[in-house]
Amino acid sequence: MLLKFRHSCLCIVVACLCSASGTAAPQRSPGSDARRVLIVFSEGKDLPGNILLEQALKAKLQLQTTNTDEFYTEHMDSSHFSDEAHYRIFKDYLSAKYKGAEPNLVIVAMARDYALTEKLPPEVFGAIPTIFMTSSELEVPNSLRRRDVYGVVQRVDVEGTLSLIRQLQPDRRKIVVLGGQSASDVMTLERIKGAANYFPNVQFEYWTNRPIEEIPAQMAGLGSDAVLLISSIFEDVNGRPVYMSRAAQFLAPESKVPIYTFSIGAMGSGIVGGAMINPARMADEVARMALLARDVKPRRPPVLISTNSVAIVDWRALERGKIDTRRVPSSAEVRFRPVSIWEEHRVLISAIALVIVAQALTIAALVAQRAQRRRAETELLQQRTEMAHVTRVSTMGQLASALAHEINQPLGAILRNTEAAEIFLKSDAPDLAELRAILLDIRKDDQRAGEVIDRMRGLLKRRNLELSAVDLNELVAETVDLTRPDAKARQIRMEFTRATGLAPIRADRVHLQQVLINLILNGMDAMKDCANGERFLSVAVRATEADAIEVSVTDAGSGIPEDKLGRVFEPFFTTKPAGMGMGLAISRTIVEAHGGKIRARNNPTKGATLTCILPLARN
Amino acid sequence: MHPTPGEKLSGSAANEAAAVIVVDDDTSFLKAVSRMLRAAGYKVHAYESAEEFLEAEATKESGCLLVDLKMPGLSGLELQEKLTNEGSALAVVFLTGEGDIGSSVRAMKGGAEDFLVKTAPQAELLDAVNRALERGRTQAEKLRKKRELKELLGVLTEREIQVLSYVVRGRLNKQIGEELGINERTVKLHRTNLTRKLRVPSAAELTTLYNEAHSLGVLPPLP
Repeated sequence: MLLKFRHSCLCIVVACLCSASGTAAPQRSPGSDARRVLIVFSEGKDLPGNILLEQALKAKLQLQTTNTDEFYTEHMDSSHFSDEAHYRIFKDYLSAKYKGAEPNLVIVAMARDYALTEKLPPEVFGAIPTIFMTSSELEVPNSLRRRDVYGVVQRVDVEGTLSLIRQLQPDRRKIVVLGGQSASDVMTLERIKGAANYFPNVQFEYWTNRPIEEIPAQMAGLGSDAVLLISSIFEDVNGRPVYMSRAAQFLAPESKVPIYTFSIGAMGSGIVGGAMINPARMADEVARMALLARDVKPRRPPVLISTNSVAIVDWRALERGKIDTRRVPSSAEVRFRPVSIWEEHRVLISAIALVIVAQALTIAALVAQRAQRRRAETELLQQRTEMAHVTRVSTMGQLASALAHEINQPLGAILRNTEAAEIFLKSDAPDLAELRAILLDIRKDDQRAGEVIDRMRGLLKRRNLELSAVDLNELVAETVDLTRPDAKARQIRMEFTRATGLAPIRADRVHLQQVLINLILNGMDAMKDCANGERFLSVAVRATEADAIEVSVTDAGSGIPEDKLGRVFEPFFTTKPAGMGMGLAISRTIVEAHGGKIRARNNPTKGATLTCILPLARN
Repeated sequence: MHPTPGEKLSGSAANEAAAVIVVDDDTSFLKAVSRMLRAAGYKVHAYESAEEFLEAEATKESGCLLVDLKMPGLSGLELQEKLTNEGSALAVVFLTGEGDIGSSVRAMKGGAEDFLVKTAPQAELLDAVNRALERGRTQAEKLRKKRELKELLGVLTEREIQVLSYVVRGRLNKQIGEELGINERTVKLHRTNLTRKLRVPSAAELTTLYNEAHSLGVLPPLP
């Protein structure tokens, strides 16, 4: 009841709207930019290729329309009525029909020559923008290269089609070309003859002097190594128009010889395929020209000539001709392939699969969450008991390789000095002064190697993390004060922001301070190339919501290259020329041993910010 | 200052080529390896950085360069690239402190032919140096020969080079005249002139000279 009531309300509203718009615009008069487009097909309504073209053309043009645009289509049927009298009747018909409602754009479609484009629009409508679209081979006459005449000439793709034949049926040695006798037909044949030179292993035969009715009998005499290529037949031997699509429809159903052609209108007749004119593409170009004619009005309107095509094959014909479907080029469009269950019910199958996957994911997530919680509990326990050990071992591993590098320098020097000494000792009167110098150097290098190890051992001291309650504000303040002299020497302004009302954290003071010093010195290094007065380092402590405290160090340097942001904590990764790449890696190890995290990001303006997030003490 | 081709030909190059140039920022290793090489009878020039070496007066054209891979400033690889671009004939041996040779070698694909850890055995190091010196010598020899030929052929006119290319193919004066569209007597004159300028009397020697010039890229191949 309620529903019904609502419905009738809606009707009233709609009716009001309609009448309102009706009164506002009593008579539809096209605005200045409204289009009235007349499409004149030179042939009849039933030519398959032209039907496809008309659909594509209307679809494309309608995409650009406003409500006030209008489209009209006329077919001259010149293949059946080609004399001058018929032209006059057609012309008068158009004049009478469109009197008072003249179009402002005429499209002349698929005329076999350019005469119609030259005569019809000016004779019926006077000076009017015209677009011709054709597949004619004839050269565009200069008379059409003038103001207000645009053109789209799409010639057949001879090379593409011959390549397709060779690709699909490389075993065929003979290509019989069925052609016509009009000037345009002859030019297409010339192009095929030219392209034939590129296929030296194939014999080409040209059939142009026999009526179409005789062809089936002749084809019966062809061997199993031949294919038939239907070229354009605007006029056959008797001067009648045959067209590629009609020839295909006549020949293909009964043919044992595979047939190829250039016209998309022939698809479905039983032919194998060809590199074909794409009506949608051609319509696209015409629609583009239509926009040009309306909005831009170039001084010399363009005529686009191309042989763009798309390879199309008929799946059924492939199977019938026992042509290996794997030979079909991946770029080709395959038609009439039987659809699989998947293709037919894709949406349903996808939906079901999606539901199953979603369910599985939910279950998996729940299981994972549980496992994670357990693991976290175990880890916490381990961290408490073995924290110091874990830290030491992982730092050790990271340092081992750096150690090798550092220590090989003095070891190499010692070795070379020893070798030198050996050589000196072989001489009859060894230079003792030189030998003494060598020994001294060896001693020095030995000492240096020892120092490297000491330095490393300082970092690796066998000492457990000594956790105690630490006031982070105080620790950071102390560290900032520690680095102030350094900052002053490098002309860096340093600012420290403390947090209020902070609870203490449990941490190892010494290790944590090492991390902070590291971050601050890194920040200073990053500003080495900054102009004076722009070097500014900010250190801030603040409590976050998630039971944690953040310490961030922000510099105003050049920042970290975006692609390297994820790697700065890896051992031996460094952006500094003399850096060893250990500072941040060690920092991360220490912070993680405290149950915290360390992050690096670039600031929106300049420089980078390194942040340690440390958990508050429990209990 | 590079020596002029004339000076170069006079023979100082041979001694210069025997030098081993060592570049390493680790002064202690630099001193040690230089000392050992000198004791083993090599002529050594030592530099603490690539920049210092580049600024030095020493020749950068021939000999062996023993260089640390990792240095502050210009690294060993960068130095090698720079020298190659400048047309130097120095043969390079890289040294490195770290043990991971495999990855370093992969990293310098197409770089030096020899690559050693600093703690490599003496025999291995001397082997590498000897090979590099030998390579440097042949490279320098090629360079010298090329300069010499360039200088020699530089005095010929374009027409004389044209005539030369026909002579080495065994053409008679008359044929050359027809091909170039000039008088037979003019051909004879060109021929006399170029034989005089090149100081090579026989056609066989002219052919050898031409082929050598071609193999070094001084002259185009015979058409």
